[in-house]
Amino acid sequence: MQQLNPSEISDIIKARIENLDVRSEAQNEGTIVGVSDGIVRIHGLADAQYGEMLEFDGGLYGMALNLERDSVGAVILGEYGDLSEGQTVRCTGRILEVPVGNELLGRVVDALGNPIDGKGPLNATQNSPVEKVAPGVISRQSVDQPVQLGLKAIDAMVPIGRGQRELIIGDRQIGKTAIAIDAIINQKDSGIRCIYVAIGQKMSTVANVVRTLEENGAMDNTIVVCASASDPAALQFIAPYSGCSMGEYFRDSGEDALIIYDDLTKQAWAYRQISLLLKRPPGREAYPGDVFYLHSRLLERAARVNAAYVESVSGVKGKTGSLTALPIIETQGGDVSAFVPTNVISITDGQIFLEAQRFNSGSRPAMSPGTSVSRVGGSAQTKFIKKISGGIKLALAQYRELAAFSQFASDLDDATRRQLEHGERVEELMKQKQYAPMSVAEMGTVLFAANEGYLEDVEVAKVLDFEEALLSYMKSEHGAFMDDVNASGDYNDEIVSTLKSAIETFKKTQTY
Amino acid sequence: MAELATMARPYANAVFDVAKRDNDLGVWSKALAYLATAAGDDTVRTLLETPDMEAPVKAQKLIDVCGDALDDRTKRFVQVLAGNKRLPLIGEISEQFEALRAAEEQQIDVEVVSAMPLTDDQQSTLAAALKKKFEREVNMTHSVDTSLIGGAVIRAGDTVIDGSLSGKLKKLAENVLR
Repeated sequence: MQQLNPSEISDIIKARIENLDVRSEAQNEGTIVGVSDGIVRIHGLADAQYGEMLEFDGGLYGMALNLERDSVGAVILGEYGDLSEGQTVRCTGRILEVPVGNELLGRVVDALGNPIDGKGPLNATQNSPVEKVAPGVISRQSVDQPVQLGLKAIDAMVPIGRGQRELIIGDRQIGKTAIAIDAIINQKDSGIRCIYVAIGQKMSTVANVVRTLEENGAMDNTIVVCASASDPAALQFIAPYSGCSMGEYFRDSGEDALIIYDDLTKQAWAYRQISLLLKRPPGREAYPGDVFYLHSRLLERAARVNAAYVESVSGVKGKTGSLTALPIIETQGGDVSAFVPTNVISITDGQIFLEAQRFNSGSRPAMSPGTSVSRVGGSAQTKFIKKISGGIKLALAQYRELAAFSQFASDLDDATRRQLEHGERVEELMKQKQYAPMSVAEMGTVLFAANEGYLEDVEVAKVLDFEEALLSYMKSEHGAFMDDVNASGDYNDEIVSTLKSAIETFKKTQTY
Repeated sequence: MAELATMARPYANAVFDVAKRDNDLGVWSKALAYLATAAGDDTVRTLLETPDMEAPVKAQKLIDVCGDALDDRTKRFVQVLAGNKRLPLIGEISEQFEALRAAEEQQIDVEVVSAMPLTDDQQSTLAAALKKKFEREVNMTHSVDTSLIGGAVIRAGDTVIDGSLSGKLKKLAENVLR
């Protein structure tokens, strides 16, 4: 049976006929002289601009990337099977654009902003160029508000601020995407808009992500941009820029947004393919010379901008905007010194480094506390978490050092043994289930308990049960207090004493 | 072809410079066109591409084919081309020479394809309008193609003005199917 397309509604067709511009304007035309995998060489097109959209027969579009003396090299944004030598190509005079706006929230779109979720047209009224220059120094403001990922380990040790770029790096199948998804789920009530850009992934994985987000009620706040493994390399190359433009819309209208690029390794592969087909000279690992710029210009667009900038762009008064980026990079065998990982590490403001060993030993998220850093997030951390996290970081660092040392020693002095046991419990406490983000108060309560030594008489295997029981007790007995802490994020003597007495009562009266 | 154009460019520029200095663009233009037509002929092309023939012999054969149409300098030019094994470029060189000449003489070749034959009046109006648009002297060639249904398509180098009914219908189809 033939399927009816949402664009086949009479009204839409009528509107499109009425809106058709039938004026004949002078156009630049050229001829295809060669077609290779997703790349065409075009003779003519003397007026083509760099990055300009080119129109092929059959409504197909391309983007001019190589402007040479006698020819233009272009990538084709779509299925290129029907193109052949001798066909005409026309300049459009437009730089590649994607639709942006609130209408995209809750939708799944391809790299060009066309909906692919079968929910009908987008009805977006605004478009934005895919490639834009990042805001300059004058337009920026320092990062001083947190993005809560809802993961204890990350929020306590590598806090992320609004407008920061924090890399998530690790081997395959180690929970990189899981962190990103948890981060999105935790934003469902925070007012931060999310954009998830899937590059070179299996469609089944993307469908799973979308379903997970829907089940957790976070999809209404999220745009999914998808350039799957079967899409042409050109679309995989362009997808992060498209997603970034959609995120910039929120940034520039005084809102906060979080964008996840999953993952930039595959984008670099796609760009390498395009570059080699365009006969650009290969460099290290066969990547072209501008693979650093490929990522730096993308990540530079994630920024915190000041109120003056927001007002000048969108007219919204008195509001700052931010776009926080969480790029993901996949390493091979934990090798962070490969070309693309080193590049992106040096561009971003810190990294969350995931270790296969930790993942296999069951500590998830498998973040390595020693090598993960956040260069700017500290100043954005909630006061409450900031106060407590110092002790946690110290406990873990001491534990790592002593754990290696204590393997050789049979008997340890009392202080060392106590430190080891404390570290072990904190390590255990850092484990967290997927799709179970925690609020600031919840996180703070359990970390406070660990810091103040309330875990000392809890068996290591029971730590997570203790946590669960403590949190449900706090929720039922001290609900108002928890809400207050969530709202203010403050840390003072009153809070400390309330927490202390609550935890003590809990330990006396409750079981876990 | 792109690569051919790159290789032909220095020859075309050199010939053009010589022709401009001697003030005989017309002579060179005619000779090159003649050579291009001759070299484009299937039999001649096969001959020129034969590997078992020395370059000077090939050049001599081509010169013989052209007969009286070449003077001494054009003959020497053919020898130079043959010596560099670039005889197949002659067509491209001729094309580029014409482009340089047109730029020098402030001229532009315009091809007008219309659905119905144009009257002389229409042609002169069109020529005047195009002259104003391109700010050049216009050499207009005109042909009729009924598949355009109505209107006309004007082609000048890379620039195309599509005012045909079939072009508009195509645009409409793409817009509706989008």
